[in-house]
Amino acid sequence: MNKSIEERVRNVMSSVFDVSTDKIKNDTSPDTIDSWDSLKHMNLIIGLEEEFGIEFDDDDIGNLLNFDLIKIYIEEILSIS
Amino acid sequence: MMDLKYSELLSKNKDLEREDTEVSYKVLLLSNMIVHQGKEIIEYSLRIKNINASIELGDYDNILQETKKQRKVDATIIFWELANLVNGLHFKIDLLNDKEIEEIEHRAKAEINLALLNLKDCPLVVFNKFSSFLVSSLCISEDNLSKLAIRLNEYLDSLDQNNLKLVNLDNVVRHIGFDRSYDLRYFYSSESLYTIDFFKSYAQYIKPIFISANGKSKKVLIFDCDNTLWKGILGEDGINNIEMSSDTKNGKIFQEIQSIAQHLSKRGVIIGLCSKNNFDDVEEVLVSHKDMILKDSFISIKKINWIDKVSNLDQISKELNIGLDSFVFVDDSPFETNLVKKLLPDVTVLEVPKKLHNYPTMLRNNLGLFYNLSQTSEDFKKVKMYKQQNKRESKKLEFHSLDEYLISLELKIIIHENDDLLIPRMAQMTQKVNQFNLTTKRYTEREIEKMVNSSEVLVLSFTVDDKYGSNGVVGLCIINLNNKSSAYIDSFLMSCRVIGRNIEYVIMDRIAKELKSIGIKTLTSQFSETLKNSQVSNFFDLCNFDLVNQKEACKDYVLLMSNYVPSKIDYIEVKKL
Repeated sequence: MNKSIEERVRNVMSSVFDVSTDKIKNDTSPDTIDSWDSLKHMNLIIGLEEEFGIEFDDDDIGNLLNFDLIKIYIEEILSIS
Repeated sequence: MMDLKYSELLSKNKDLEREDTEVSYKVLLLSNMIVHQGKEIIEYSLRIKNINASIELGDYDNILQETKKQRKVDATIIFWELANLVNGLHFKIDLLNDKEIEEIEHRAKAEINLALLNLKDCPLVVFNKFSSFLVSSLCISEDNLSKLAIRLNEYLDSLDQNNLKLVNLDNVVRHIGFDRSYDLRYFYSSESLYTIDFFKSYAQYIKPIFISANGKSKKVLIFDCDNTLWKGILGEDGINNIEMSSDTKNGKIFQEIQSIAQHLSKRGVIIGLCSKNNFDDVEEVLVSHKDMILKDSFISIKKINWIDKVSNLDQISKELNIGLDSFVFVDDSPFETNLVKKLLPDVTVLEVPKKLHNYPTMLRNNLGLFYNLSQTSEDFKKVKMYKQQNKRESKKLEFHSLDEYLISLELKIIIHENDDLLIPRMAQMTQKVNQFNLTTKRYTEREIEKMVNSSEVLVLSFTVDDKYGSNGVVGLCIINLNNKSSAYIDSFLMSCRVIGRNIEYVIMDRIAKELKSIGIKTLTSQFSETLKNSQVSNFFDLCNFDLVNQKEACKDYVLLMSNYVPSKIDYIEVKKL
């Protein structure tokens, strides 16, 4: 059974930030997760790129700072390719 | 581990984190670049090998300051990136003149010196050699960065610091390739050069160092014979038709395998044979086949018979007195390898690849299993000693009592007190000895050296000889002299080569006598239980110590010297140098 994009993003976030998946809501951001600092943000991007087999655009990486944004961004990339 | 996704690795690493059930192995990771992804990856690579590693990251680009803090850690890993020695050095260097480059070189050397001086008490410093691969990978003309890397690496090679282990970073990059190693996007945006794949590969590459430092290296390599040491089946093809010479393509492969094995034997790995064959047939090959490189003298133990391999391996383990978790077994038959994997899960099993040309590489890729931090001359003598041990084992059967047998051995102990020539061997023993080890404290050469030179510590090592030869330095006892009237046994360990000869009681007699003579009234110690030392759990009880405290894996003991009753063993001669 294929997991939804949402679920996969949640799983990656959960392991990168070391919080349980139910703590990750649609508006989750560095403001709501203490461990989401610039280093962990790098880990998150690396983890997501690997999970979905995609590459994020350099200029977008710095802006992808909440769960919904990230989910929509990934959906877009996947729909183009 | 290479197949694991990064996010999976992070959660698995988290799952393996143990709340100090065992003492953790603390590692400090220092760098002048962002290398934080290395933390979990290296931790994971060690945790799956039962080393409870916990890595602390030093502040970014603060190597000198961090070394100065003198943290209590078991090891320090240093990533000193050449490209960041000076910000942007990898491209700026080609615009600098010789004098300016020389200045950078001098400063770098001075910084290395200071960092290593600050770390002189750290048990282990893993230092990556400088790499210019980032700019030089496909450049035929030699660039300034590469020249600088060569000079700095020559300097590192010339350093004589016994806790320092240099790591050739270029090997890791070469192995997985430039594109998979470097993350140029994060290099320019975040001073982070290496990819997750790089760190996974790096962690695998350096793992043997930590496995050795934790006393978990493999000690024994057992080969099957047919199609494992030579091509062909001896019993069917006959001695003249098995191949292991450079005259045939298959022969070349087995010649290489035998050479690797011979080399390992010379480095102190115990090589054995376990094969379903007629004993005399194999013996004839070992003694008289002209192409045999792994000659009889390099083989410590042989089980050539028609008994199943599981029983044979078990028997070898008993005879050598070495646990099966120190064993590596090589065989070409999937039936045999699966059986051993299933019934003796502690044994590391290697199967000869179906494509024979991959066999030497497969074996070589596994040599890290035998990596040994402190290679000492003792290792070179080991083959001979284990051979003698086998003679002793078989001799054992003829006596009516163990005492009778022990008397016949004409055992002789020579004690060395605070002998600085034996520091490497003593450190190695603390790292490797698991079974007869009452406190299992692991020490580096540097730590032993300090104790040897301290007037408050008595470091006694001892050799055991018998009529078959010398066993070499096989035991160590470290005693802290707390004050004029009390002492503490910090470590007491003995190589498995000499277990079962009552040596330990004679050593204890000697210690008691000596401590009494300098006015010691009470002697304390501790037994710390590990997975492997249960055989000595009651040693202190047997020596008349009183158990005063017991919590979990630790038992505290006290001995009033006036209560000590010497053993009645009179057949072991003890001398002190």
